[in-house]
Amino acid sequence: MADKPRIKLPKDAKTGEIIQIKTLISHVMETGLRKDASGNVIPRKIINKFTCEFNGKPVFSADIEAAVAANPYLQFAAKVEESGTFKFTWIDDDGTVTTAEEKITVA
Amino acid sequence: MNPGVIASVGIGVMVAALAVASVSSVAPAGAQTKGPAPLAAGDAALRPWKRYGDWPQRDYSKFNTLANLASPPPTKEPRKLDASITGDAANGQKLVADRTRGGSCLACHVMGSAGNADLPGNVGPDLSEIGNAGREDEWLFNYVYDARVYNPDTVMPPWGTHGLFDDREIGDIVAFLKSLKAPANYRAAVDDPTKRPPPVEKRDNLDAMVNPGMWAVEKAEELWNKRSASGFACATCHGKATETFKTWAAGMPKWEPRLDKVLSVEEFVTRHAKATTGDTWLMQSEENIALAVYLRYVANGAEIKVDVDSGPAKEAFERGKALSARKLGQLNFSCLDCHSPDRGGLKWIRGQWLGEQKGQFDHFPTWRTNLQTVWDIRKRFQWCQVNIRANELPPDAKEYGDLELYVAAQSAGLKLNVPGIRH
Repeated sequence: MADKPRIKLPKDAKTGEIIQIKTLISHVMETGLRKDASGNVIPRKIINKFTCEFNGKPVFSADIEAAVAANPYLQFAAKVEESGTFKFTWIDDDGTVTTAEEKITVA
Repeated sequence: MNPGVIASVGIGVMVAALAVASVSSVAPAGAQTKGPAPLAAGDAALRPWKRYGDWPQRDYSKFNTLANLASPPPTKEPRKLDASITGDAANGQKLVADRTRGGSCLACHVMGSAGNADLPGNVGPDLSEIGNAGREDEWLFNYVYDARVYNPDTVMPPWGTHGLFDDREIGDIVAFLKSLKAPANYRAAVDDPTKRPPPVEKRDNLDAMVNPGMWAVEKAEELWNKRSASGFACATCHGKATETFKTWAAGMPKWEPRLDKVLSVEEFVTRHAKATTGDTWLMQSEENIALAVYLRYVANGAEIKVDVDSGPAKEAFERGKALSARKLGQLNFSCLDCHSPDRGGLKWIRGQWLGEQKGQFDHFPTWRTNLQTVWDIRKRFQWCQVNIRANELPPDAKEYGDLELYVAAQSAGLKLNVPGIRH
């Protein structure tokens, strides 16, 4: 499976433009409701929180529940007023934090 | 240096042992063009082959596989019934909708109110008014028990001869059939198989944000450049796959005279890696799948063109064609029963569309959204077999090679488009 999360957002934009940001992370998103062949419950293991910041300020975040399918794809819009860096984090049930960054030039 | 010699076969116990004859200590760039590609002999898949743990585990060795014939002989004459059937129609109604009994009748037949007319299939005729068709009980019984007594070429599973239903249950089913006297009452237009639109695949399968299967391309690029313990990587001899493999995969699978079988991309990767870099990338392993996807990905757009004309290739093709017509498993289906438009192809089994043979091969290996994983064509073959209650073969079975050559030929002229994305 891909180790790095995938981010898709424009490299540049005009000041005040609303851009679409697409994110995809490889993750099993085990609900905790499934049973294995022997009848034992497969323990829950999901990404339960996603955040996005731009130049240190929050843009979008989501508390994620078990109904979200494997390899969660999250797409949202953001209004950009200046150049900078988007920082993304995904937090697993076990505390693991995965991060990614993308720069954008705004003029 | 002689990289073309295949060593004699040595078979390991718990893992595939690939025997390597000689590997050159220095592999010059462009070595791929000098003589036939080195291939390791032995097994290319895990041995002993064990069915995937999350698949149904029943053993079907009493029925035909692609490798051997074992099914009981067809019943020759219709069985005579002493009296008319007074089975339990209510139980019959349950049985025809029971998915644990080999798919249920609703998989292929509309049957009036049975199963709430919930997405029945249309491989077989609509039986909603069969109670008015003037059929005798004995005829109905024998049709379910073993339809071959009336039509030796039937698609109908032999529910009695193959032990799927016993006589009492078939009696209950017949009693239910006799009660069917009105057209099915569908709750939604989509439940009517004659009005249901066939699925169309429009997703951008090469967009990594749409198709998680694209992970295989990234992984393969890593593997391509990674040096094994031998000090070699694929790149050592082959440079950039995007330049050197622009059409190779479109000509696979191919007859391999040194191994006396048809070799697919997946099996080639296993044997060639072992004989060159020394990597062990068994068929259906993560590395093998990644490279199998990648070698086609770099040839995307090339038209499928497999050799089915020269000597042994032609014989392999003919064998594959015969295998596609062999009845397999407890449900007694051949590939053609589901995938030839003359039979079940381009019709519905329950809510699933049966594709025709042309257009299957160009998108394998494919990401499967309902399983969140990539399958190669041989895993698809194996799953088909288990689903029709036949034992599957190991991925490197020569019968799968013959069948794959035949299947590839059905898609000749279509452009490779890998990795695919499907349900």
